[in-house]
Amino acid sequence: MNVQFKKGVLEICVLVLASREDRYGYELAVMISEKFEVAVGSVYPLLNRLTQEGLFSTYLQESKEGPPRKYYRLTEPGWHYMRGLIDEWNVFTEAVNEIIEEGLRP
Amino acid sequence: MTIKDQYLGELNHLLHVIPSEQRQELLLDYELHFQMAMENGQPEEQIAHELGDPRVIAKELLLGYRVHQAETKQSPVRVSRAVFSAVSLGFFNLIFMLGPYLALMGILFSLWVVVVVLWATPVLLLADWAINETFPLTAVLSVCALIAGLALLAGVGMTKLTKGLLSMTMKYLKWNTRVVRVVKEK
Repeated sequence: MNVQFKKGVLEICVLVLASREDRYGYELAVMISEKFEVAVGSVYPLLNRLTQEGLFSTYLQESKEGPPRKYYRLTEPGWHYMRGLIDEWNVFTEAVNEIIEEGLRP
Repeated sequence: MTIKDQYLGELNHLLHVIPSEQRQELLLDYELHFQMAMENGQPEEQIAHELGDPRVIAKELLLGYRVHQAETKQSPVRVSRAVFSAVSLGFFNLIFMLGPYLALMGILFSLWVVVVVLWATPVLLLADWAINETFPLTAVLSVCALIAGLALLAGVGMTKLTKGLLSMTMKYLKWNTRVVRVVKEK
């Protein structure tokens, strides 16, 4: 996938993934890197940036099996930010789809 | 030393400019990632490979840190550091980002020099009057008042301009840093 496409899109995905339930870093890193072919290690700087901007809060929790997990929780501002991004995304994709459909119509 | 220790050690070393507490927080993500992946039966070497080059990751983390530092307290030094971090990460072409940025800072600096000179002028004029008394005091004072007024206006204007330019740079920087590196070879 084109690098330019990925700008911002990954941000939406991470936010949405964490919106239903709190997710731990490893889980997010693996999910994102599988879908978008990004280096696993660079998902963490993204999470970190979003945390610094107050869109995520984090907490550490022991787990029964394996090492403790660092959970990312979507904050109230994070939720609003996500809604805004999704709206923008929908307007954008609708416009692109319209043009594609009209362009390919026989 | 295991590959995991090597990897984390290198990351720690590369991030030495970040205060210890914050650095440990950043490293924890990678520490836990290793632990979790090993728990899932992945060999350390493969985990390190999938995570990617620690030098690139360190740059990304450092940029996040710099941008945050520059945002919490905007100063020319902090903003410049963030810009340099971004350039070193390859977000920006040297000529297209750093060139104009340095030129802009150069212009800003020389304008500030003018402001400082304006501020100093009344003081120097008064000192000159005290020593030489070439011109009458009333003439000296009115010229001083005029220049001081100009200096005050220029100072306020320049402060606004500087702040505006710095926050513009930050906005541009933040907008550009929302990129996540892609895997080159698969």
